[in-house]
Amino acid sequence: MKHLVIGGGIAGIVALETIRRHDSRAAVTVVAAEDHPPYSRPMTSALVAGTASPARMCLRPETFFADLGITAVIGDRVVALDIEPRAVHTAAGRRISFDRLLIAAGAEARLPDVPGADLDGIFPLRTIADAEGIVRVAATASRAVVVGGGLVGCKAALALRHRGLPVTMVITSSWPLSQQLDDAAGMMLRAEMEESGITVLPGRSVAAFRGNGGRVTAAVLDDGRELAAELAVVGKGVVPAADFVSRKHIRTGTGIRVSEYLETSVPGIFAAGDVAETFDLAGGGWRLNAIWPEAAEQGRAAGENMLGRRTAYPGSLARNVIRAGRLDLATAGVTVPPKGETGFTVVDHLDHRRGCRRRLVFHDDRLAGMVLVNRIAEAGRLMQLIRTRRPLTLPPDLLLEISLGDCGWPICI
Amino acid sequence: MKTVQVHPERCVGCMQCMTACAVVHSRAGTLFGALAEVPRPRPRIHVGAGRWNEGFPNRCRHCDPAPCILACLPGAIFRDPAGGTVLIDPDRCINCASCAMACPFGVLRFHPDLFAPAGKTVAVKCDNCLERQQEGLEPACVEACKSGALTFEESDAALRRQTNTVAAALSPVDDSWPPAGIRHAELLRFRRTLTELRRVAGR
Repeated sequence: MKHLVIGGGIAGIVALETIRRHDSRAAVTVVAAEDHPPYSRPMTSALVAGTASPARMCLRPETFFADLGITAVIGDRVVALDIEPRAVHTAAGRRISFDRLLIAAGAEARLPDVPGADLDGIFPLRTIADAEGIVRVAATASRAVVVGGGLVGCKAALALRHRGLPVTMVITSSWPLSQQLDDAAGMMLRAEMEESGITVLPGRSVAAFRGNGGRVTAAVLDDGRELAAELAVVGKGVVPAADFVSRKHIRTGTGIRVSEYLETSVPGIFAAGDVAETFDLAGGGWRLNAIWPEAAEQGRAAGENMLGRRTAYPGSLARNVIRAGRLDLATAGVTVPPKGETGFTVVDHLDHRRGCRRRLVFHDDRLAGMVLVNRIAEAGRLMQLIRTRRPLTLPPDLLLEISLGDCGWPICI
Repeated sequence: MKTVQVHPERCVGCMQCMTACAVVHSRAGTLFGALAEVPRPRPRIHVGAGRWNEGFPNRCRHCDPAPCILACLPGAIFRDPAGGTVLIDPDRCINCASCAMACPFGVLRFHPDLFAPAGKTVAVKCDNCLERQQEGLEPACVEACKSGALTFEESDAALRRQTNTVAAALSPVDDSWPPAGIRHAELLRFRRTLTELRRVAGR
């Protein structure tokens, strides 16, 4: 059996390890575009902040592929996929045949479609190369602008502020992380970010970038205002890197559609990670939940299934956890019920004594989403209730109270 | 291999396991010494109060596969190859709480710790008292537990004991069973007939 994995990100890495754990003899090949030992993509913001070194970001040793006896094709990318006979073609002209394929090619950062977006000094924040570029420019820049208020935008803004750079954040919504946070939690995050010295410009977008000698000097807002900045970080989401997949042969939505066994519409071809469109546990239907821990989980299940060990992956769940200054935020699932839909109940709870806030969103008798502000250590239990979609037997407000380890005893936390 | 077995139905909520755990993870190793230490030693086991105020000892299950290992952003959580214990490298931990989001049991806590670089807040959870085990001692929570809610034994032995407990609970309550005149073999035959009847009736 010849296994081929496209992508050296976390989904690919975990899949390779899973395959090797059960089968020490199968021929395994990996095609990875980035010439770097497997690293932690979410930690790129720590590299920007200067709190982690590139060495600390490595998740596996440099000899990882060799140790596992995996043929590694590094620095190359797949450009075409043949279904019959089964093979891929790479940019460097290689042809690699396979019996089982995992497409874990990940996604690419979406860059804004505005004039001047190709100037030097404008970066996404996804790869280690992006982070190193930001650090290089940040060393001489006097001001930075961050475009987008998603998780990448927030983490980039906090990281640049940590370096001591004046940062302006341009967000189209009224508060950062608007896709996950309700207004109250969102305004708390905005206030916390402003207190840390970040200027937040809500309800604005960048219409163009201006430059001098090929380098960015300012961002022009949609209201005509100009923000001087020698560094811009753009966090406008990602697009799956699935150009080589023909929509004629493999079912594709926003990403590559997979079954609960992470198999695409073509038997023997699997997909995992940011390239895969999985069942969305919160909203139902298929959705691209490009989330790192989900990618790891998908990689594990895909690896098992490639070996014929049927392992179900029930679906993915949008969630986030971020620590911003004194504020800890954990969100998952549906946090603001869609307008016009019935069956949703929202329970908001503010606990002054413990300095925390909780919002739980119920759909019929199931927990559908949560927003936790501070005291997030037990967020995983609520996550599990959302994930398993188990009907609840407790009255909803009890869920706000019951804790598995907070009894008021002085030695507790 | 012996592991800690949790029998929540036996927990009386005395929280002595928590105290013992915090003390064992202190520099002094005694309760009075531990109370004065900075950072304050914290327990890795947490007794929660249930809906009727009953106790529930909540402890890391050392899952395999472990969701926290897969979710850990800096790769700080790993499995001890010898005994399967899931451990956290406090030096690599970046306090991102990704593990807390992944853990379905809510066992992770975040605080400065004696075993972490000074002043650094890190993720902390049960380490199965590996150091004590090397010295041939039971984990501290088990040693402290007076009600039998925490035991340190082979899981096979624990399961066998539980099966026997269930069997004993279903045993006839007094000497009047089986009724006079019915011998054991007849009883078995009766039971088999009953099973067969149920099967035919499709119930």
